[in-house]
Amino acid sequence: MKVSINWLKKYVDIEESPEALASDLTMFGLNVEGVEDLGADYSGVVFGKVVECGKHPAADKLSVCKVDVGGAKLLDIVCGAPNVRVGLSVAVAVDGAVLKDGFKIKKTKLRGEPSEGMICSETELGIGTDSGGIMELDLELDAGADLSGLLGDDDVILDIEVTPNRPDQLSHLGIAREIAALYKRKLREPETFALEPEEVYGIDIEDPEDCPRFSAAFIDNVTIVPSPEWMQKLLLSAGVKPISNIVDVTNFVLMELGQPLHAYDRDRLAGESIGVRRGHDNETIITLDETERKIDPDVLVIKDQDGSVGIAGIMGGADTEVSDKTTRILLESAAFGPRTIRRSSQSLKLDTEASYRFERGSDVSGTVKALERACWLIREIKAGIPETACRDFVAKPEAVEKTKITLRIAQANRLMGTHLDGDDLSSLLERLALDCEVSEDEVIVIVPGFRRDLKEEVDIIEEVARLYGYENIGREEYLRGNVFSKISTVDKRNEEVRSFLASRGFAEVITSSFMNMEDPDRMGWSESDFRSRPIRLENPLSVQQSAMRTSLIPGMLRVISRNAPAEQEGIRIFEMGKVFLPVNGGESLPDEQVHLTAMLSRTAVPAQWIDQSREVDYFDMKGELEYLLDRCAVRSELQIQRNKEEEPAYIYNWLTKGKIIAISGVIPSSVLKNYEIESPVHFFTAIMDVMHGAGFEEPRYSRLSPYPQVKRDLCVVAQERVTFADIRRVIEKRAKFLESIRLFDYYQGEALGEGRRSYTFSLGFRSRDNTLDDGAVDKVIQKVLNSLQRELQVTLRRME
Amino acid sequence: MNNKGIDRQTLEELEQTAVRELGEASDIGAIEELRVKYLGRKGSLTLSLRSIGSLPAGERPAMGNLINEIKGKLSGIYSARLEEISANIGDPEPFPGDHALPGRVFSQGGLHVLTRVTRDIKEIFFRMGYSLAEGPDVELDYYNFEALNFPEDHPSRDSQDTFYVNRDILLRTQTSPVQVRYMEKNDPPLRIISPGRVYRNETPDPSHAAEFHQIEGLYVDRNVSLADLRNDVTFFIHSFFGPDVKVRFRPHFFPFTEPSAEVDMECFGCRGEGCSICQKTGWIEIMGAGMVHPNVFKYAGYDPDSVTGFAFGMGIDRIAMLKYGIDDIRRFLANDIRFLGQFWSGSWAGVQD
Repeated sequence: MKVSINWLKKYVDIEESPEALASDLTMFGLNVEGVEDLGADYSGVVFGKVVECGKHPAADKLSVCKVDVGGAKLLDIVCGAPNVRVGLSVAVAVDGAVLKDGFKIKKTKLRGEPSEGMICSETELGIGTDSGGIMELDLELDAGADLSGLLGDDDVILDIEVTPNRPDQLSHLGIAREIAALYKRKLREPETFALEPEEVYGIDIEDPEDCPRFSAAFIDNVTIVPSPEWMQKLLLSAGVKPISNIVDVTNFVLMELGQPLHAYDRDRLAGESIGVRRGHDNETIITLDETERKIDPDVLVIKDQDGSVGIAGIMGGADTEVSDKTTRILLESAAFGPRTIRRSSQSLKLDTEASYRFERGSDVSGTVKALERACWLIREIKAGIPETACRDFVAKPEAVEKTKITLRIAQANRLMGTHLDGDDLSSLLERLALDCEVSEDEVIVIVPGFRRDLKEEVDIIEEVARLYGYENIGREEYLRGNVFSKISTVDKRNEEVRSFLASRGFAEVITSSFMNMEDPDRMGWSESDFRSRPIRLENPLSVQQSAMRTSLIPGMLRVISRNAPAEQEGIRIFEMGKVFLPVNGGESLPDEQVHLTAMLSRTAVPAQWIDQSREVDYFDMKGELEYLLDRCAVRSELQIQRNKEEEPAYIYNWLTKGKIIAISGVIPSSVLKNYEIESPVHFFTAIMDVMHGAGFEEPRYSRLSPYPQVKRDLCVVAQERVTFADIRRVIEKRAKFLESIRLFDYYQGEALGEGRRSYTFSLGFRSRDNTLDDGAVDKVIQKVLNSLQRELQVTLRRME
Repeated sequence: MNNKGIDRQTLEELEQTAVRELGEASDIGAIEELRVKYLGRKGSLTLSLRSIGSLPAGERPAMGNLINEIKGKLSGIYSARLEEISANIGDPEPFPGDHALPGRVFSQGGLHVLTRVTRDIKEIFFRMGYSLAEGPDVELDYYNFEALNFPEDHPSRDSQDTFYVNRDILLRTQTSPVQVRYMEKNDPPLRIISPGRVYRNETPDPSHAAEFHQIEGLYVDRNVSLADLRNDVTFFIHSFFGPDVKVRFRPHFFPFTEPSAEVDMECFGCRGEGCSICQKTGWIEIMGAGMVHPNVFKYAGYDPDSVTGFAFGMGIDRIAMLKYGIDDIRRFLANDIRFLGQFWSGSWAGVQD
């Protein structure tokens, strides 16, 4: 809401500077977002007299002048205007002045001659279009007099952020009322022309909820001409374009009191009655802006005897619009249901100053007062002669009744942390024109019609706190009980996992929760795959952001793609974030799962002088995942199965107790191509919810054995169908005293024969009770070998 | 060794060789090998001793003594040498070239700046007694608006351009829905913070993003007051931005709190003088706050006459931008490695002792 300080001064004294006022209002809850000084562009522009004027020695078209600006010394100014001459009164921009276009005046030299300012033309001052020469001032002032007030408008505009609960502040009077309360000053109500409600016109309201009140005034002998300059100036400063005297009066009252008015050419209304009803389907109306609008039952319309003549609370119709020929006017001042107007405005996709106020709630009790004000103005500016009789129809009587709110004194103090008594409270509230009745424990507050936002006790407490000053509320006593914080284990573990991966050399990324509906196709997910059927948005920003992600992978591939030109040798990134899995076909809230995805690409170790660089491979990724699972104490046995549905892609499911805890693999090159990535990408995804269930056990201490470890190397040969995991499982199950097991060699090749592989383990044995001798270890190894032979047909190749 | 050939001269030669070899051995492996060769279970001296039975009975004691004598002597040398070598495992070969060459480089990584800032904020509130609570990103209209006292068809909903999934489901526009969700499941007193992602249907520009992050705070107890709110919020700002930063509370409107406030802190760019960071106001808006509206308590099933509470909310991205002078909110989700890497080194330096 743009308010003019000059306009505000009509209703309340303002002594403060605009900056101080802005800051005080901000602290009072009216956030001033901008202060625009309409005169500011002329600061540094002063009245001057040309005392001497001669030709520039080096330039034909320039003159060298001496100008009196009231200082001890005349200013040297080089001027290019043809009309400059001795004795001329001029506007001089002195050193430091900043002109409209941001041009800053500095002392300088022009073609070798000093110039200490500028004699201005109309264009340079931004007040006219004559750039042919300097402006010749037709007035006599002291040399050096400040011209900013004369040249510009000396008004200052405040841009105030009005919150949706305070429609009363959408007017100059409303803001003035706040200023009066803030500074404890008197509010001057604007002058009015007294109207007498009589049954002079028919009014027909279909539904009192849609239109609780409809008032109308009548003006005769209307002459349509432009409104006076003072009115135009104030309207312009509030951002409203002047049109004609009658329309300007309605807009003036709108900006002054916040009550939208509409003027009808009374001779173009059919019959002696007007009314309000819902629109009919297939009805159309041409509005003031010459646009044909389709009406439906969500839209509220104004009707005369023949049909609809305007859209209620939003915009009038073109047919009954005030024109040059208008001589009689019906002035409408009504109140409409906020929800109705909001629906109506949304349905038509049309919002106006009027609808903005009505949907926030107008002052139902103030409709006649607004008419009285408009009539006074019309008479004052001689735009017409108002009739004393008006028509006022109250369809919903309770809407104009004053409301009372009980404020419990103890509750006010409890919520604010203050110690105010009933008189303190009432004297604060009365500053806002809220009448109070004080009793021992309570204050009864009588709420005027323009403050319908005050509905209950807490609303009143807020007003008290605001008037008392938030800054004056200190911590007088500390009343809180003991509320100790609990540690969220899930959050703590997730943070630990993040730190772990960061220290493993992964860069954490945080990507968008949205996915592109083209992602399923690019990823090669089948149509029946749940990942291809994400939650969709009804009103997305773009197709790229039209659904909620079902996987972190597409977003992370985009990160890799985007970072490709960044000369990154190796890519190691991870993200821990939510994916949104549809439930109940997307009709319910989705299952929000936290996934951790890591990706590795290009070089495994940076190229450097001391070691060879190499490409990332499957086992780099697998090692990181295994290390992570180990760190997260996922101790239960894991099964790794190739995902058949994703074949030929190499995607593996890691299962624990039948649940997928992680997925790992290689992004197929066909997918990489779609994301414009040129190097292979290995990835794993850990399902954090499953991780939390399967791992993160507390560490356990076990007594350390004082006896030495015995080491044995064991090399076995297996058929292709047997895996490392099978062999290790058998060894771990059968080997008594086994303390450590590590695979340190693997071979497949001609020497072994086709379909055979050899695995060499380093096994460490230790007993808690004694030093193991060779015999005991030999026995264990034999047992292991027997089991390997029996269960897996794995045979001994060599033992050391 | 030929058993029959056991004689004094052979043994003496063997002794000399062994002594020489032990003296030459330069590492533990070699010493160990020599021990096995001479003194081990199958070593030459052990074998000699076993073969003593083949000698005439009269020669046996002398020869036995000799062998044991040599064995003792070699054991002694072995132990001494072992100790000598162990004590001096040998310095690694000094590098003969440029000592200024860089050490081995590992892959570099680190946490996202938003993770770091979120952690720092959480840490402060955890110390103050706040616990963590979380809520869904895809949320019911009920929790995001209705239960927070935003009436249906009310202009207060306009301030938050909303992404809708359908009539009842939307992407949360604020972390405040967690308030009612948490109060429904927990009895007072309670003190929680809730960080998370929020969504606004806004065209992105340097200071607006469609996805950003907030942290919500809620404290409900028997007699929580506006004074307590000022206390907690001021403590947080002083902990995060420094103890001398001025803080002010300015009346404002939020449907779900009353009285409501916007909290400003003194601009760190100009210390309140007015600069481009604070748009010449000297103040930077840092969070919204207020006393929980009685209607919100009613929706949560609390009796507004028996408890009071405060709530506050702030933008994590905004705080990170302020703290590090980041000029464009869209940097956070763009994940340019050059951007991410700027926040890997260094650590929390919010408040010095």
